[in-house]
Amino acid sequence: MSGGALPVPGGIVISLARLNRVLDVDIPNRRVTVEPGVTNLEITRQVAPFGYYYAPDPSSQQVCSIGGNVAENSGGAHCLKYGFTVHHVLEAEAVMPDGEIICIGSSLPDACGPDLLGLLVGSEGTLAVVTKVVVRILRKPETVQTLLAAYNSTSDAGAAVSEIIAAGIVPAAVEMMDALAIRAAEAAVHPNFPPADTVLIVELDGPVAEVRELFATVEAICRRAGATVVEVAENDEQRMRIWRGRKAAFAAMGRVSPNYYVQDGVVPRTKLPEVLGRIRALSERSGLAIGNVFHAGDGNLHPLICYDERIPGQSKLAEEVAGEILTYCVEAGGSITGEHGVGADKKDYMPRMFSADDLDVMQQVRDAVDPHRLCNPGKVLPTPRLCGEVPGPYRAHPVEKAGLAERF
Amino acid sequence: MIVDFLRPGTAADRVDGEVPPQVAEPDTPQAFADVLKQASADRLPTVIRGGGTKLSWGRPPATVDLVVATSRLNRLIAHRHGDLTATVQAGMRLRELNAALSSQRQWLPIDSAFDQATIGGVVATNDAGPSRHRHGTPRDLVIGITLALTDGRVVKAGGTVVKNVAGYDLGKLVSGSHGTLAGIVDVTFKLVPTPQTSATLVVWHPDAAALARDVAALDATQIEPAAFDVRMQDGEMPFQLKLRIATSPAACDAQIAAARALVSGQTTILTEIAEQAAWAAQLDPMGHGDATVRFSWLPSRLPQVLTMLEEMQRSGTRLLFAGRVVGTGALQLSGEMPALAAAVERLRASADVGNVVLLRGSRELKERVDVWGPERPSDRVARAVKQSLDPAGILNAGRGPI
Repeated sequence: MSGGALPVPGGIVISLARLNRVLDVDIPNRRVTVEPGVTNLEITRQVAPFGYYYAPDPSSQQVCSIGGNVAENSGGAHCLKYGFTVHHVLEAEAVMPDGEIICIGSSLPDACGPDLLGLLVGSEGTLAVVTKVVVRILRKPETVQTLLAAYNSTSDAGAAVSEIIAAGIVPAAVEMMDALAIRAAEAAVHPNFPPADTVLIVELDGPVAEVRELFATVEAICRRAGATVVEVAENDEQRMRIWRGRKAAFAAMGRVSPNYYVQDGVVPRTKLPEVLGRIRALSERSGLAIGNVFHAGDGNLHPLICYDERIPGQSKLAEEVAGEILTYCVEAGGSITGEHGVGADKKDYMPRMFSADDLDVMQQVRDAVDPHRLCNPGKVLPTPRLCGEVPGPYRAHPVEKAGLAERF
Repeated sequence: MIVDFLRPGTAADRVDGEVPPQVAEPDTPQAFADVLKQASADRLPTVIRGGGTKLSWGRPPATVDLVVATSRLNRLIAHRHGDLTATVQAGMRLRELNAALSSQRQWLPIDSAFDQATIGGVVATNDAGPSRHRHGTPRDLVIGITLALTDGRVVKAGGTVVKNVAGYDLGKLVSGSHGTLAGIVDVTFKLVPTPQTSATLVVWHPDAAALARDVAALDATQIEPAAFDVRMQDGEMPFQLKLRIATSPAACDAQIAAARALVSGQTTILTEIAEQAAWAAQLDPMGHGDATVRFSWLPSRLPQVLTMLEEMQRSGTRLLFAGRVVGTGALQLSGEMPALAAAVERLRASADVGNVVLLRGSRELKERVDVWGPERPSDRVARAVKQSLDPAGILNAGRGPI
């Protein structure tokens, strides 16, 4: 998503795709040990028969590997309540830059000393090569309830989110989609969303009595905030339909625009209406349509910038628009990436969030662990751009263009 | 060393019995970094102090030339209640922070055994209590940090948003570092809403096996406790489990009733002040007695852990144990020094437990058994990071885990 895995000129690519075994499923201790090539969803598949699941659930979970999740500290729609990969990984076996294989963290609680595992997770492959991961699994919640509320404006939907949080409720997920994203999703997977400027998806999970009590409050808040329609999923099939619409939104953009650029930025939740207003103005000014699909609970935005590369200058314009959105995020007190990573794409934006000293100390830590700068060189921290690197908008794979494969 | 917020150390500044010649109390982040830079240039073994509640944790000091206290860096910088985040300076007391956050019915879900514990101290030690069952340890709640480095720079990592993967997470790196890498200036946390209501089911058992059976039965259900602990003490009914439900009122009653129906022991339900007192008592092993040992186990090994503690008790060691069902606990020991040393060594030799740390004990005891335990291969990496951030090796020199 951010060019974190782009090969560098003269570099060696180490593929971990063949390290794909599930090594241990320990239900009594709620731990699963896997190699990095195992997919995120495979962990849940292994433990689901026992009533457990692995919490981080990026939209790409069918195909993304746990090694990549560790590198990027992946989240997902449910990270508002359950946290990110870093909250669910207990121990990692890693090949260090000097070739030594060591364990970082501890499968038991309270490893003593600095939290090296917390440093490693999300380091985007710049410190070591992870070859084994111990994750914790959670007991499946007793029940899950999902609703979809339609609004005439993003700010009404935003007001509903603020009220839910103010009521002391932490939903399992709170997602928002705007009109363009809804239209795209409808064209692609027909989730049959009601006509609306904005839809809000709220999911609660937990013990039946708790969900029943809090869900009534959430529903009332959604209506009070001006929802034109509130649809409560009555069964798993209806719930899956809502999520299908949400999870397909990125790929579906291809149905309404020849090309699109997926941005990833974060703003404090309370700044969402303000930043979305700025993005709307930017869309009008630039002439490029921008769809918005985002995790409203944690302020993680995914603006989808539509353009047509056949029109001279539009790819460049889309890139500039994407960069401008990051400026809004930083100005609102947010971040240039919530889950896609810095990689190659965003390292030049790092100085907007961090001072030269901040970045220098990160480089110092990197050099302490990898003195010869062998691991994923040139990524994350800004350095003069190497030749051959071409960051920029997403380019569809030929099989995708032919409609043979779908992008998540 | 010439700095205007420097004063001579007094008996009240003792670190594990040693009176430091100098104490610095910087009042700005830059002054904090300046004093560390000067100490680094002068190669003064330096201890950073918050509330001073865990100063005796760590190996006995060879020398401490300087204590840097965070007492004047004690402000709540921002409570963004709509975003469920707060930024707080290291010297603010956890208790005071939570009092301030409570006006918006929010809190930082960290429990400390110590009334005077500061934010900097709980993060530096990654010390957590029963609330970790739901909310994790301090490292899980840190979303941003400002550090004072020994080269005189003040740097930050992370930010003020809960979801953020830009750059290295230095806030996690310093969690549990025991002041060996840098000074913590301020920390940004994600917060949680204060639960509407709570209640605690206490179950008593005469024997360990029955307790472990009840724990396993509860753990296999879809009940979602806010805290889930066990306890072992002297008396007729030495074994106890405590299960706290914190949620909406009807859901609280329903889950407590479901939990009670599952267990075989004698039960009581606690609310309000009695409930608070019962959970405060779970932190008792952290103080009192002659020594405190923290250790961890895989959840399924709880029966073996309890059996081992019973054997220690039979061999004449007085003990009080409070453990979290997730697999970590604190053991308070009282007795003669050789018996205490033998108890620590026994824990270290056991295949059922790990991460055994002697948190508190006499100097004599700490000289007999190592506080931190055997070297781990990853310590090499931690030391390389320390060498880079603290090249003069002044921070918690000789005392910390690295």
